[in-house]
Amino acid sequence: MSSFARKLFSHARLAKWAVSGPPFVFLLLFFVLPGAIMVIASFRYPGEFGGLAPLTAADPGTLQGFTLETYRFFFSDFIYTEIFIKSFLVALATTLLCLIMAYPLALLIARSPKKSRDFMVLLVILPFASSFLIRVYAWMILLGPQAALSQIVNGLLGALGIAPVQLLFSPFAVLISMVYVHLPFMVLPLYTNLEKHDPSLLDAAQDCGANAWRRFWQVTFPLSLPGVFSGSTLVFIPVLGMFAIPDILGGTGDMLVGNLIKEQFLGTRDWPFGSTLSIMLTIAVLLFVWIAAKLGSTRGRYV
Amino acid sequence: MSNISLRALLLLLLAGNAFADDVLHLYNWNNYISAETVARFEAQCACRVVQDYYSDNEEMLAKLAAGATGYDIIVPTGNAMESLIRQQALRPLDKSKLPNLKNINPAYLDTAFDPGNRFSVPYAYTLTLLGYNVEKMHELGLPTDTWAVIFEPEYLVKVKGRVTVLDSQRELMAAALKYLGYSANDTGEAHWKQARDLIIRAKPYWAAFNASSYIKELTVGNIWLVHGYSNDIFQANLDAQKAGRKFSIASSIPKQGAVLSLDSMVLHKTGPRPDLALRFIDYMLEGSNSAELTNLIGSGNPNLDALRHIKPEIAQNPAIFPDAQHLAHLEMLRDLNRHQRRVLSRMWTEIKLR
Repeated sequence: MSSFARKLFSHARLAKWAVSGPPFVFLLLFFVLPGAIMVIASFRYPGEFGGLAPLTAADPGTLQGFTLETYRFFFSDFIYTEIFIKSFLVALATTLLCLIMAYPLALLIARSPKKSRDFMVLLVILPFASSFLIRVYAWMILLGPQAALSQIVNGLLGALGIAPVQLLFSPFAVLISMVYVHLPFMVLPLYTNLEKHDPSLLDAAQDCGANAWRRFWQVTFPLSLPGVFSGSTLVFIPVLGMFAIPDILGGTGDMLVGNLIKEQFLGTRDWPFGSTLSIMLTIAVLLFVWIAAKLGSTRGRYV
Repeated sequence: MSNISLRALLLLLLAGNAFADDVLHLYNWNNYISAETVARFEAQCACRVVQDYYSDNEEMLAKLAAGATGYDIIVPTGNAMESLIRQQALRPLDKSKLPNLKNINPAYLDTAFDPGNRFSVPYAYTLTLLGYNVEKMHELGLPTDTWAVIFEPEYLVKVKGRVTVLDSQRELMAAALKYLGYSANDTGEAHWKQARDLIIRAKPYWAAFNASSYIKELTVGNIWLVHGYSNDIFQANLDAQKAGRKFSIASSIPKQGAVLSLDSMVLHKTGPRPDLALRFIDYMLEGSNSAELTNLIGSGNPNLDALRHIKPEIAQNPAIFPDAQHLAHLEMLRDLNRHQRRVLSRMWTEIKLR
C-alpha cells in the first residue's frame, strides 16, 4: 500500500515537473539570466567599439571594473526623466483609448448568440494574420497627404478657415497606430471575462429595480475589473517599450523611451547606459503593475 | 521577375547543387551587388556565394559584437571598418593575389581608416547630399546648392512639412557642422552645441527624421526636399520615372561640402575561405563587374576601369561622380570615442524632445 502511494506520489511529482519544468527553464534561461546580465552590464563601462569595457585590463589607465557612472548620468539630467514621463503619457493614452473602444465591443461579442461569438472573436484576431510592420506601413499610406482621410480632414478644416494639418509623421499618427495595433490585446481579456458573467445576476438586479445604467455600473463593470486590469497591462507595457511605430510614423518630436534604448545599443554603442535605461523602465513598469494590482484588489473588496 | 534575373536564379540553384563544398560567405549591405555579378562569379569559381545582409553599419557591428562568425567578406563603411581594424578582427590582405587593385582611383586609397590599405579594398561610395523634386524647387525658387535650404527658416517656410532629414545623429550633425563652416568630424562641444541649436531651430519645419521611407515619399511627391543618400535619391528618381510622374528627382552636393561614405571589402578573421575571398575581391575589381553595381543602384564608383562600362547618364552625374572642386569638400566620417558618443546621444535626445 505504502509503496503504491509512494509510486503515485513520485509519479505526480514527475508529472508536475514535466509540466512546469520546461516553462520554468525557459523563463530562467531567457528572462532571469538576460535580466541578470543587464543588471551587471549597467554597472560597467562601455567598450570602445560597443559592448562592454573589460572587467580587468593590464593598463591601469583604461576604464575597467564596476561603476555607478551610468546611473549618475541618468539622474544628472532631467531629459531622461522627461522622456520616461512622455512615454508613460503615450502608453496611458493608448490604454485608455483601447479600453474605451474595446469595452463596448467585448460586451457586444459576449452578449451575442453563442454561434456568432466565435466568428466575431476570429475577426478581432484576424489582423494578426499579417505582419505587424506591414500593418504599420499601411498607416503611412492611409495617413499620407494624398489619402482620402487627409483630404477630408483638411477639406473640413479649410471650410472652417483653419490651416491644413499633416496627419502622417505626427503624434496623432503614432497614437492611432498604437491603438490599432494593441486593440485586440484589450478586447480578448475583456471578452473572456465578460463572457463568464452569470446573466441571472443582471436579472436579479433588474428585479430589484436597477435600470440599465445602474446594472452596468454596479454589476457588470465591477465584475469585469480583472479583465480591465489584465487588458490594460497587456496594452500598457508593450506600448511603453515600442520603438518601431514612432520610428515609422512619428514626426520630428516623437521619440519614446523604446527608441532611446534601441539607439543606445545600435547607433551610440553604449550598452551600460542602454541597460540602465532598460532597468529604469522595468522598475517603472513593475511599479505600475503593483499599483494596478493594489487598485484592483482594493476595488475588488467593495464588490 | 525579369528573364535575366530568373536565369541568374536558375544558375544560382544549379551552382548550389553542383558545387556545394566551396562556399563563400558574403556579409553585405541590402541590394549592394547585382545578381548577375554573383552568378558569374559562382560559375567562374565553381563555388557557391552565400549572402547575408545588413541595413546599417551598427547592425553589422552589433551582430559581430554578439559573436557572429564565419563571414569571409564584409563590406563596412570607413568608420566601422576602422573599429574592426582596431579590434583586430580583420585579416591582412595578400595583395599579390589582387592584380586588379591597380584599377582603383588612388584618391580612394590610403584613407585615414586604413593607411596603406593593409586590410581593405574600396568597393563603392555613397554621398550624403540634398535630394529634391526638381519641378517644385524651381517653382518655389529655392536654391539647391546649399545646406541653407534645409536649415534656414527663410527658405524652409516655403516647404514646411515637405522636408525630411536623415534619422542619423552623425549624418545630420555633419550637415549642420558643414553648413556652419566646420569639419564634419569636428568634436568640439561648443561647435556641436551650435549645430544642435541650428537643428532645433529648423526642426519645426521638417516633416520627419527618416532614413528609409523618404525614397517612397519623394517618389509619390509627398516630400519635396530631403537630406539623404545618393543611392536612395537615384532610386527615387528611377521609381518616379517608372511610375510616369510629372516630376523628376535630382540630387546635388551643397557647396559647403558633404559626407562621403566609402564602403570597402575586408576579410573577417573568422572567415574559413580567405583564398576564395581574395578571388572574389579581385573579380569585383574588374571594371565590368564593378560597373554593374553602379548601373543598378547609382552608387559612386572608385574603380577607374569601371567608368567605361557605366551608363553615360550616371557617369556624367556630378552628384555621383563629383568634379575636383566638390571632391575637395567631401569628408569621410571618423569614429567617435565612447565619451563623445554619449554626449552626442544626449544632444540627440534633446533635439528629438524639443
